[in-house]
Amino acid sequence: MSTESQNVKELFESWILDAETKLSEQDLVQNMKSYLVGQHPEICGKCTPCRDGVIRMEQLLDMYTNETATLKTLKELEQLTYNLRSSRCSVGLDIGKNFEVVLENNYNTLYQPVKKY
Amino acid sequence: MAKITINGIELKVKNGTTILTAAKSIGIEIPKLCFIEEINEIGFCRICVVEVEGEQDLVSACNTEVVNGMVIQTDSDDVIKARRTTLGLLAAKHRFDCWRCPKDGMCEFYDLLKANDVVFEEFGPGIGRNPEKIFGTGISQDQSKCVLCKRCVAVCSEVVTAKVLKFRDDDGINPIVSPTPGLAFDEAGCIFCGQCTKTCPTGTLYETDHIKKVESLLKDQNKKVFVQVAPAVRASLAEEFGYDIGTPVRETQGKMYRALDLLGFDEVTDTNWAADLTILEEGTELIGRIKNGGTLPMFTSCCPAWVRYTEMYKPEYMENLSTAKSPHMMQGQMIKAYYGKKYLDEKPENIAVVSIMPCTAKKYEISREEMEVDGVRDVDAVLTVRELAKMIKRKGIDFKRLEDLELGGQLAQFSGAGTIFGASGGVAEAALRSVYEILEGVPLESVEFHDVRGVSFSKDYEGTIKEASIKLPKTNIKLNIAVVHGGSALKRMYEILDAGKKQYHFIEFMACPGGCVNGGGMPITNDIPMHEVIQRRSQSLYDQDSTDLPIRKSHENKAVLEAYEDFLEEPNSKVAHKYLHTHYTQKGFTKE
Repeated sequence: MSTESQNVKELFESWILDAETKLSEQDLVQNMKSYLVGQHPEICGKCTPCRDGVIRMEQLLDMYTNETATLKTLKELEQLTYNLRSSRCSVGLDIGKNFEVVLENNYNTLYQPVKKY
Repeated sequence: MAKITINGIELKVKNGTTILTAAKSIGIEIPKLCFIEEINEIGFCRICVVEVEGEQDLVSACNTEVVNGMVIQTDSDDVIKARRTTLGLLAAKHRFDCWRCPKDGMCEFYDLLKANDVVFEEFGPGIGRNPEKIFGTGISQDQSKCVLCKRCVAVCSEVVTAKVLKFRDDDGINPIVSPTPGLAFDEAGCIFCGQCTKTCPTGTLYETDHIKKVESLLKDQNKKVFVQVAPAVRASLAEEFGYDIGTPVRETQGKMYRALDLLGFDEVTDTNWAADLTILEEGTELIGRIKNGGTLPMFTSCCPAWVRYTEMYKPEYMENLSTAKSPHMMQGQMIKAYYGKKYLDEKPENIAVVSIMPCTAKKYEISREEMEVDGVRDVDAVLTVRELAKMIKRKGIDFKRLEDLELGGQLAQFSGAGTIFGASGGVAEAALRSVYEILEGVPLESVEFHDVRGVSFSKDYEGTIKEASIKLPKTNIKLNIAVVHGGSALKRMYEILDAGKKQYHFIEFMACPGGCVNGGGMPITNDIPMHEVIQRRSQSLYDQDSTDLPIRKSHENKAVLEAYEDFLEEPNSKVAHKYLHTHYTQKGFTKE
């Protein structure tokens, strides 16, 4: 594990475990994305949900930053997060579990900015 | 024994069975993509995931063993959702040009998308996973369609044991499957057997296209285009048009000739004729080597993939190879130099020969430098069975309704020995029939050598070494014969030869398990196990030999004998050496 990814992971874990932490939308999306990017060195590329799912999730988060996110984006993000449960090893499973917690705690923050029409 | 419950059905299975097999035993088919039994149980694709009670994650059915008391759900909402999402992810990085894909309707990935009603949004640049294409003379790879199932890698290392294709995951986010990076298949040590093109679930790996070449040859008014059909093709072409595997050859052979005639070829000939010729050449060479103390054992040279294997990996055995060309090269040269001159009064330059082969390595073989005589190439293009079927469909020919066509030409007369070339053990058996009679001078009573036949696989993919020894009472020689097919068996045979414990006279080699009937250019059969396909196709060839053909020995084929009288003088004569024999050179390759 590279030091960079370790730092990101520690940071991430420190704030996801605290359900009271409320981040602004901008911070949250940024943090989620940098966590995913930090996981790249760990991903072995063998199973589909983790290899392709993580890339797709990053793109969906980018849509938040570009303010083009719709309800569909949020739904797909949820689906991909859940899909990580079928990963082959604990790298994918961990990302999935962390994201499930984030989505649970911060669903409102992610729901607010999406276009509902 | 373990007691498990699948979808509410209780059953008892042996310990150590996977969930997939357990479900199959009660008729539940779990969809899968990367799975090949025994060779590739790696769980990469995650399409076979199922829900197990008590586990918080979904587990893959293909490589998870059952545990007593397991409660499994194969079609719960979660499972179906996960399966759909995973397929959507794969689809988003796949380039869809299904209408002109070389897989042509046999795409397993397409079937999965269809069966699971997958909706996806394309992300990324829309050019597939990796836009690169890698070419080779026999097979090519289009990486934009790869789904990274790793099946080709497993087949290349376990079945063929060439280990050319590798899964390169230095960059975990963008792994690729390729031969040595930056090199074409020719330079990377590939033997072009084509087993990977058959196992690929998408159109990523495919035979190098010769259809365009053939179409332009057919349009050329100045050229007479001859076509020749390999022995194994008649046992499988009809499968592409809805016939069962193993349909008797007599029902489909005439239709096949007619279809070729309708495609616009000037004359249809049969490679079986040259198979008989090969037996005379190779048989005489074998007799010569036994009598004069040449290099023994003699290896057959009919399989170009195998010849290439020897040239690259075991050059010290090159002398053992028979110098005879493979049958279709002989036929090509005989059409141009002998038949065209004698019957049509055409110059060799004005004749083109197209071979229909069950093999992708033959595509490579015609590009070999030494395969020409006086500047005339032996064969101009090679079509696999799949490509021929595509051409027939494109032309709008209704194969089932065709009337039979009998071939009257000189180069379409063949014996039963020629037709069994398509099955593993066929070359050896055909050679034995002739060698026995030539050496002994008495007619052989029972022409069937059952020792060299059959496909008794210990494991499906491994191939086998079959041995037989035949006593020749008069000349007092005991011929030791071996028949080897399948890549890992090739390696084992070389280990035996290296150890030098066994003395063989004649060894037949085929790179594909089961011989040509299971070749890399044959129609794809997804659902039926490999050994059964081999069994059924070879049976239809053996049946043709035993029931349909009056002549069953190569040296009794009148058309071949006539060619010797008119043109070749005698087996292994100078003329024969010029047109029908070749030489081998060591080939280099770069592998990591």
